[in-house]
Amino acid sequence: MKIFNKYIVIGTCLLSAMFVDTGCKKTLNINQDPNFPTLAQGTPALVFPVGVLATTGKVGGDLAIVGGMWSQIFTQASLSQQYTDVDSYNLQNTDGFVDAPWDVMFSSGLKNYQYVITQADSLQDWNYYLLGTVMKAYTAEVLVDLYDQMPYSQALQGAAQLNPKFDDGYSIYTSLIASIDTALGKDFTASTVTAPGSQDLIFGGKMSSWVAFANTLKLKMYLRMINAHPDVATAGITTLINSGATFINASTGGASVTNFSDAPGLDNPLYEQNIRQLNTAVNLRASKTFVSWLESNADPRINYFFGSSAPIAINQGDFRSSDPTYPNAAVFVETAVDPVDFISVAESYFMQAEADVRYFGGTKAEGLYNQGVTAAFAATGNDASTFIAPGGAYAWGTEVEGGVTLQPIQQIIRQKWASFAFGCHGMEGFFEHNRTGYPEQSAVYSTSLNYIPGQWVVVKNSVLTPGLMPKRLVFPYDETSRNTNAPAIVPSTTAVWWGK
Amino acid sequence: MRKFLVILGAICLISSTLLAQSITLKGKIVDDQGLGVSFATVKLQRNNKGAVADENGNFSVQARVGDVLIISGVGIKTYQYNVDGASTTVRISVTKAAGALTEVVVTALGQSQSKAKIGYATQTFNTAAINKNGVTGALDGLEGKIAGADISNTGGPGSSTKVVLRGYGVIAGGNNQPLYVIDGVPLSDGIYQGSMNGTDGADYGNGMTNINPNDIESITVLKGTAASSLYGGLAKNGAIMITTKKGRAGKLKIEYSGSANFSKVGKLPDYQSEFGQGWGGVFVLDENGSWGPKLDGVVRPWGSIVDNSQLLKPFSAIKDPLRQFYTTGHEYNNSLALSGGTDVTRFYFSYGNVSSNGIVPENGNTQQRNTFSFRTNSNFGKFTFNTSLNYVGQDLKVPNTGQSNSSGGGVFESLLQIPVDLPIHDFRDINSKFFNVNNFFTPYAENPYFGLLENGNQQKLDRIFGNLDFGYKFTNNLSAEFRLGADITNARTFEWKNSAYAQPGSWVGPGPTNPEGFARTPDFGGITQGSDYYGIVNGDFIVKYNKDLTRDLSLDALVGANYYTTNQRSEATTVTNIVVPGFYNLSNTSAPPTTSDATFQRRREGLYGQVTLGYKNELFLTGNVRNDWSSTLPINSNSIFYPGANLSWVASQLFNSRTAVSFLKFRAAYGRTGSDPDPYLVLPQLGSGNITLPFGSLTTPFNGVSGYGIDNQIGNPSLKPIFTDEVEVGAEARFLKDRLGLDVSLYNRKTKGQIFPVPIAPSTGYTTLVQNLGTVSNKGIELTLNLKPIETRNFSWTLTYVFAKDWNKVLSLTGASQDPLLFGFASAIDAELRAVVGKTVASIYDGVPQKSPTGQIVVNPQTGFSIPNATPLDPFGQVKGYYGSALYNYTMGLTNTFTYKDFSLSASLDFRYGGVMFSQTANLDLFVGNGIATTYNDRRPYIIPNSVVAGANGTYTPNTTYIGASANGQSDQTYNAYSESNSFSASADAQRIIDRSFLKLRDVNLSYSLPRRWASKVSAASASLGVYGRNFLLWTPKTNVYVDPEATNLGNDLAGEYGELASTPLTKSYGVILKVVF
Repeated sequence: MKIFNKYIVIGTCLLSAMFVDTGCKKTLNINQDPNFPTLAQGTPALVFPVGVLATTGKVGGDLAIVGGMWSQIFTQASLSQQYTDVDSYNLQNTDGFVDAPWDVMFSSGLKNYQYVITQADSLQDWNYYLLGTVMKAYTAEVLVDLYDQMPYSQALQGAAQLNPKFDDGYSIYTSLIASIDTALGKDFTASTVTAPGSQDLIFGGKMSSWVAFANTLKLKMYLRMINAHPDVATAGITTLINSGATFINASTGGASVTNFSDAPGLDNPLYEQNIRQLNTAVNLRASKTFVSWLESNADPRINYFFGSSAPIAINQGDFRSSDPTYPNAAVFVETAVDPVDFISVAESYFMQAEADVRYFGGTKAEGLYNQGVTAAFAATGNDASTFIAPGGAYAWGTEVEGGVTLQPIQQIIRQKWASFAFGCHGMEGFFEHNRTGYPEQSAVYSTSLNYIPGQWVVVKNSVLTPGLMPKRLVFPYDETSRNTNAPAIVPSTTAVWWGK
Repeated sequence: MRKFLVILGAICLISSTLLAQSITLKGKIVDDQGLGVSFATVKLQRNNKGAVADENGNFSVQARVGDVLIISGVGIKTYQYNVDGASTTVRISVTKAAGALTEVVVTALGQSQSKAKIGYATQTFNTAAINKNGVTGALDGLEGKIAGADISNTGGPGSSTKVVLRGYGVIAGGNNQPLYVIDGVPLSDGIYQGSMNGTDGADYGNGMTNINPNDIESITVLKGTAASSLYGGLAKNGAIMITTKKGRAGKLKIEYSGSANFSKVGKLPDYQSEFGQGWGGVFVLDENGSWGPKLDGVVRPWGSIVDNSQLLKPFSAIKDPLRQFYTTGHEYNNSLALSGGTDVTRFYFSYGNVSSNGIVPENGNTQQRNTFSFRTNSNFGKFTFNTSLNYVGQDLKVPNTGQSNSSGGGVFESLLQIPVDLPIHDFRDINSKFFNVNNFFTPYAENPYFGLLENGNQQKLDRIFGNLDFGYKFTNNLSAEFRLGADITNARTFEWKNSAYAQPGSWVGPGPTNPEGFARTPDFGGITQGSDYYGIVNGDFIVKYNKDLTRDLSLDALVGANYYTTNQRSEATTVTNIVVPGFYNLSNTSAPPTTSDATFQRRREGLYGQVTLGYKNELFLTGNVRNDWSSTLPINSNSIFYPGANLSWVASQLFNSRTAVSFLKFRAAYGRTGSDPDPYLVLPQLGSGNITLPFGSLTTPFNGVSGYGIDNQIGNPSLKPIFTDEVEVGAEARFLKDRLGLDVSLYNRKTKGQIFPVPIAPSTGYTTLVQNLGTVSNKGIELTLNLKPIETRNFSWTLTYVFAKDWNKVLSLTGASQDPLLFGFASAIDAELRAVVGKTVASIYDGVPQKSPTGQIVVNPQTGFSIPNATPLDPFGQVKGYYGSALYNYTMGLTNTFTYKDFSLSASLDFRYGGVMFSQTANLDLFVGNGIATTYNDRRPYIIPNSVVAGANGTYTPNTTYIGASANGQSDQTYNAYSESNSFSASADAQRIIDRSFLKLRDVNLSYSLPRRWASKVSAASASLGVYGRNFLLWTPKTNVYVDPEATNLGNDLAGEYGELASTPLTKSYGVILKVVF
């Protein structure tokens, strides 16, 4: 009896010794995921494209649908359901269109940009430092413009700060502009910089274009401030332009992602989600608002966008109607390789034109405006020359709408709006409407005889108080339900801080 | 591994010196029927030394002539045997104590144990019970027969089987299935390559389902953690212990079992028969719904116009149209086993074949399975050596379920979109000019036969599992066992979808000629080739010791060590946009392929020990401990310790055996298991660069640009195991000479430290943080009642009733989210499955309408539709409403068996009550106007009952806006009757959430055992013939006119409780079964 116990004890000891000492540490240290690189293997070049894809996917995807509908370029096909929540202003805080842009642009966009900035700073790779800074600023600005406030100063800290406080939009703008200035001040000729090459999906590594993008982004942000902080806007814009800064122009090319191919996951994000992966490709139909305006001006771009010079259109948001013409309404034309614009060439010229009108007496405005219209036409393969020539429908100073000649700013924003139909860029038209009030809101629905073509209408099935349009997205549920510092929901009809 | 052998050898050498001097008496203890009595104690009266007989009654003691052996044990009368020295091999016959229990069960680590000694609930089924009705999956015959086990098969050849013991305890990771153990070795239960995401789900079955049930001798269910805690975390959800058939010494035995099974489609949605094809009350040739005019029986043209011609048919409803689509399934299940051997070596060889073609037409769901098993058991003196080698080869073809995508697919969704007056069966001619890709009647759905004939999902699986088991008996009291097992699966999956482009200018092609001018989106086609390897290696070294310490006190002890490792490798390549139609090779594409590649590895080492003290064969106390070290925990705190204890008191040992109480036992047990997390949740890393879009995604490498982002999940460097603590008490009683038996268990289980990637505020830059975050409580009661109302020589009636109720509650979630989303869709389908504090782990939420303070529905005055609620309804800010738990409230089963001479008739009912589920079948049915509920108000425009319009300052006025006025005054809006928008459908969603309750006649079996003299005419030892029916009657609540509530295509774990997404219907079947033993 005793002797047996001894062997049990010895055996157990031997086994224990074997497992604990020789076994555990070595054989059990296999928990680093072999399916992904380690954190130490990350570089700015590896991480930066993911951020750009996040911005591309959301700005040119989900938000292209909301933006295109809310700026009345296209509308929901009748008797179909896919985007009725968007086209009835019914974006609740749990809606995918409210949550996904926030979720993805924070987690896959801003976080990766911040990584690029931090890494590039320590490597003194000022090229990537600028790329990261500009894309972070662009992406953060889209979020601020959509949601008015968001965590910024305490954001992106992971487990170290699970409840980042919200910052107001203006202070975020100020920080973003300052960060761009810092990045622009770096030495791009230093020996420590690397050439991004094709890892830069926007300019293929052309740094002069990035500098122009940075300047144009600053211009855009200052212009946004004209209502809320006119003095800051004035000072910022005059300083910027007087400095001789270059802006995005025909030679720098637009800040756009164009590297798409006709294959799943590698194509334009709007096409991917709305055409390729959806079981019906015809949800987005011609809006009466846009079509009536194009037709009233005999604008050839109508063919590019709707495949016909006289497309059947649906009155904005009239998706419950069984109007017999509606099933044949033109489908908004998309291809797998359509670009996603962040700031288009046309948009840059229109912004410069507006700045010139506002702060420099408007002497250069006509030229800049004409370049803008020309670029907008060119993007769709059309020639604008007869339209901007004296007597043309869009000639500077003489464009007429509903019998009234448009004011300069009004004309610029009107043309800018039309340009946003290209490049999945409708969201920017929505922002500009909320900043400037142009295109104007119609007093009547587009079925009325008194309707002025191109004026925005309140959608037929609006869930908002009659007469109101949305001016922002509500705070997303994904954030408010998980962040104890999230403010109370502000209704979608309340203007954002820079809004009118 | 080598070290194990060295130690084993060392122990062998030492022990050989311990052989004693007196004679060795070998014997077998048998009962009055000559069957071995397990685990009887054999003691020398002289000194109380002795041995315990093994499972088969064999023992061996050192004794002198003149010694008296005292044979005692649970359930036998104490017996004295005088050693006369005439023979060293003896056979001792003992008498069973009346009503006692001599049952032996297989407990953790494959240790056989007298049931009387254990203090927790078990339930055992023998091969006859398992295989009575020709099942192809080992547990498919036990649905509704185990108190506290929720077993459901998802239907169709090769499909997976869900087994949940004592309710769901683990929130995340689909981790609630029990541990399957075959002959002491853990078995893989993996599901390979099945994209069980509901959008294109193909169910290839779980690992358990491809074991040949005819090879199984018995199954013991260890329901609780207390029973399985010696296994560690693997068995936190209980364990199913499978003992395979072994050869017996004697002449060659040949066993044949064959069954032929014929199945028909089970429950299908009930269709309305008043309104025909069309939309908005108008007849439309190409509409995929029945929102048209009233059916009038007039013969009219229908479908596409091709070559200026059109088909004719009466405009009347077809009786039970969906049933026409399905065919009769055939399943042949044959198994042949040879066994025999000598006292030294026995063998068992079997071959099993399942050949099955399910109810899905056009060979859409077929299974070919071949299984081979070869086992040997040898004794060489003190040395025993057992081997088991098993091979499974399976070729499975399964249909797509769920939604179609750009490649194609969506057979069942297409099927549900056929109006009630169209002849579904005619569409099978997919080359007919009216039903081909160009001219199928509707552009909104695909010919369902196209999906069956031109698409497919196939998996070829090879699996080898087995073990080597070495045993050595040093003395009668001390033995050692070394067991090495492995289970290796290779599965090759091939999924293909043909392209389908309608010709321009055809009915549904570009420039469509159908009246609505709607072109069908082409199917681009696609091919996926995948390969999965999964391997488990498990080694145990166990030393066992038993001893009677005094006359009344006995000791059983074991210590052991375990090594367990799993390796998984999965590779898959997918192409879309196939170029040459009907040619399926990854090179046949215009788009670049996407590939995926994943490796997962886990290692675990463990030490364990168990001691059982017995007092007078009446009171048994067992204590056990285990410590594991796991690779998936943080390397510096990777140790998990867990104890367990149980107490069994056979109170009836005190009674006079003539009382009405023939057996009475009380038991109490506590057990803890700690389960390690999945691999790779601890250390930080880069992550995928893919960007998810509402549909589809942007993927890296992106057109030649590589990219990895910082992972959106934050790993947890202080991650801890999930601990499951369970206390159970129970009693087992038999009365009136075992005519009445009752077994009751109460349990209280807490699953603590749930590992969950908790959603965190996206502004942190991350979306989830891995945390141990809370506790789920399962409290329950299980009851098994056995009754023999009649027992005569020729006739008997036995009745078994089981009842179980599990109270499931999420006690706390300490993370950022107290109601994590487990399954659900953001937009088109609204229902969500959440684990919510204070509710169950499977709580169903969905949209609800806004209500006025007096509870009336608030509508939009312009449209008449209800406005979705947007104010938080609970402390977690949920704006969706709670529709109920997806879990059954309680379950019960009743089996009646009647035997008359050689006939036996049995029938089993399975009743499960309560719970709700989402049904996409219901959703589509209502959407396309086929469902009966769509005839509400005869489809005339109506005002939502009891609805109001919100005015200024919180005033409400009665609503006067009608819903659904259309051209001829007929509404097509009933589907959305209470909703404002599709993506937030308010209480229209209530129509798609259905009651889960059901009562099923699981099986009816009539079998006849041929009299021995007849059997012997064909030289058979025994033969029996049976006819049976399975699942052929189903009762559901009146509101469920849609689906069999057991249907799901969301896998066999928690997510499956969400419901079904247009899955294959379940079946009812009938068959014959023949068993012959030679």
